Amino acid sequence: MRYAFLDEEAKKEIRRSILKAIAIPGYIVAFASRELPVARGWGTGGLQITLAIINEEDTLKVIDQGCDGSVNAVNIRNFIGSVTDVNTTTDTNEATIIQTRHRVPEIELQEGQTLVYQVPIPDILETVEPNLGKAKLLHANADYSKLWVLLYEDTSQFGDSRISNRYPVMVNHRYAMDPSPIPKYDTTKLHNNKALQLFGAGREKKIYAIPPYTDVKPLKFEDREFKVENFEGKVCERCGSSECFLDEVYDDAGEVHYYCNDTDFCDVELKKKGAK
Amino acid sequence: MAYYAIKGGEEAIKNSLDFYGDLISDADKLDDKEVIEGLTFAIDRVMGEGSLYSKKLAAAAIKRSAGDLLNASFFLRAHRSSCQRIGIAKSVDVNEMRLSRRISSAFKDIEGGQLLGPSNDYEIKLLVDLKKEDVSIEDYGTDDNVIKSALTPLREDGLIKVLAKENEPWDITRNYPHAPYPRTAVLQVMSRAETGSILAVGYTTMRGYGDVHPTIGDLRIGEMDIKFTHPFTKNEVKIGEIEATAVECVGTFNTDSDGDTKLTTGFGFCFGKNETKAISMSIIDLSLYNSSYSVGGEHIIAADFEMIMHHLDGIESFGMTNHFKLPHYVTFQTDYQIFKSAQKYADDKKVNEGAC
Repeated sequence: MRYAFLDEEAKKEIRRSILKAIAIPGYIVAFASRELPVARGWGTGGLQITLAIINEEDTLKVIDQGCDGSVNAVNIRNFIGSVTDVNTTTDTNEATIIQTRHRVPEIELQEGQTLVYQVPIPDILETVEPNLGKAKLLHANADYSKLWVLLYEDTSQFGDSRISNRYPVMVNHRYAMDPSPIPKYDTTKLHNNKALQLFGAGREKKIYAIPPYTDVKPLKFEDREFKVENFEGKVCERCGSSECFLDEVYDDAGEVHYYCNDTDFCDVELKKKGAK
Repeated sequence: MAYYAIKGGEEAIKNSLDFYGDLISDADKLDDKEVIEGLTFAIDRVMGEGSLYSKKLAAAAIKRSAGDLLNASFFLRAHRSSCQRIGIAKSVDVNEMRLSRRISSAFKDIEGGQLLGPSNDYEIKLLVDLKKEDVSIEDYGTDDNVIKSALTPLREDGLIKVLAKENEPWDITRNYPHAPYPRTAVLQVMSRAETGSILAVGYTTMRGYGDVHPTIGDLRIGEMDIKFTHPFTKNEVKIGEIEATAVECVGTFNTDSDGDTKLTTGFGFCFGKNETKAISMSIIDLSLYNSSYSVGGEHIIAADFEMIMHHLDGIESFGMTNHFKLPHYVTFQTDYQIFKSAQKYADDKKVNEGAC
């Protein structure tokens, strides 16, 4: 098996697409997108980016819905490990590449790190304009009026946008972008992030990027607050933290418990408490 | 501990795969030759949708997936990605096919005749055997049957609308195009399409969503040589043969912008024996490029390039549909929170309006 599974031509093509994406923050770049031994819709876009940029000196972390131990993360980490032999970690600080399904780690990322997002729907305009040809034209003209109308209609009916995750953002004051289905809680972390953020959509064959220290703002009316998920003072039962996105877990008795969604963050917080 | 129950993905996957291994273990006992010869239509379908012509690998894939043909095609596609491309073979011409079957429903008799070949079209679908009458059965001929498309006379007389030829065929596996999509790319997408999906879209034209009046001008199944320029000797060499199905359907006529009144045609082509797919493809091709000829009006799914380019691939639609089984608890949590706050907003509004 070839190093990192993909043949060199495919890697070259993906790297060139990534470079173009970095050069035009938030712009959607088409790429060929090879089929992988992992099913379409299960992270093949993120996976192709990771396979194209990874080398022996990297340390890889993979998370699925915030958790290193969740099924998709395990599967992807094992596959990348088997075709590259790189070191893997669950430690956010230690990782050079973090492939993620729908969360931005709670621990602040640093320069030199790359966050690779798995993306199901790369074009934010798809909600309002399913025809890709027409959507491309709207992007070219920075015509986001249909998104604004959607936002207005929702706000007038429900007091806020009905978009609960993959909330639209404006990148570098130019392109409206789909940040992948991350919670709104994570949307603000995209702004001025020190890490390189790469987005891959395998089935839809698209790559886009946010370079480090880029201006990223959620799309919202100036007189409206951008509301994120709120856990109403609940704390993680394991580490006691309230400064994070929490999972609601029902036990066999039907009782609800709260735990950190980001399992590495929880481990770090727990360790801090133990040290005190 | 509930917390660790969520974290235990590693063991859960291993166990699940082990159970699955037990479930499909009997498939592995099947002999490759039996699968290739006994399930010839399954092999052909998987090679077409998996976009890789190898009966041996298709048999392995069918065994690996215990007969789930979508999964089997997925195995072939994944394998295909790991193969280095050596070069591009010469174009094949379906007129040069060594035919095992060739029919035309547009003409009563045609040059070379109606060649029914092996077909189940007139089979009575009963699981019990009917009483057989004694008839003398012809032997297979030993001569190669090479006959041009039944539409050739019409084409030579200039009666058929000809679409602009592209200088270089597009290659969707190396570069996926933006709209407007080149026809070669559209045809490739359809040729790799999932049979059931392309059938469904083709069928929409037959009942109200874009009636293009197809007639099968020429349907053929046969073998073709694949030729390749040898990298060292530069000689043209035959590197193998493929079996394929090709269909040309004839549509209605219209007057073009240049004033010509011509008949329209559509083309379908796929690996192996898969007439349902090739016919569906030819009708969609006809529909896409001649939608103004239709008497069907608006909302013609089969004439919508976006619909065709992005929804027929079985590997993609099957992967995405199954991805909903992945954990979505973060996503669901965000949905739930926004639902609660919207509900509260609506309720408050109702109360306030009631108070007025």
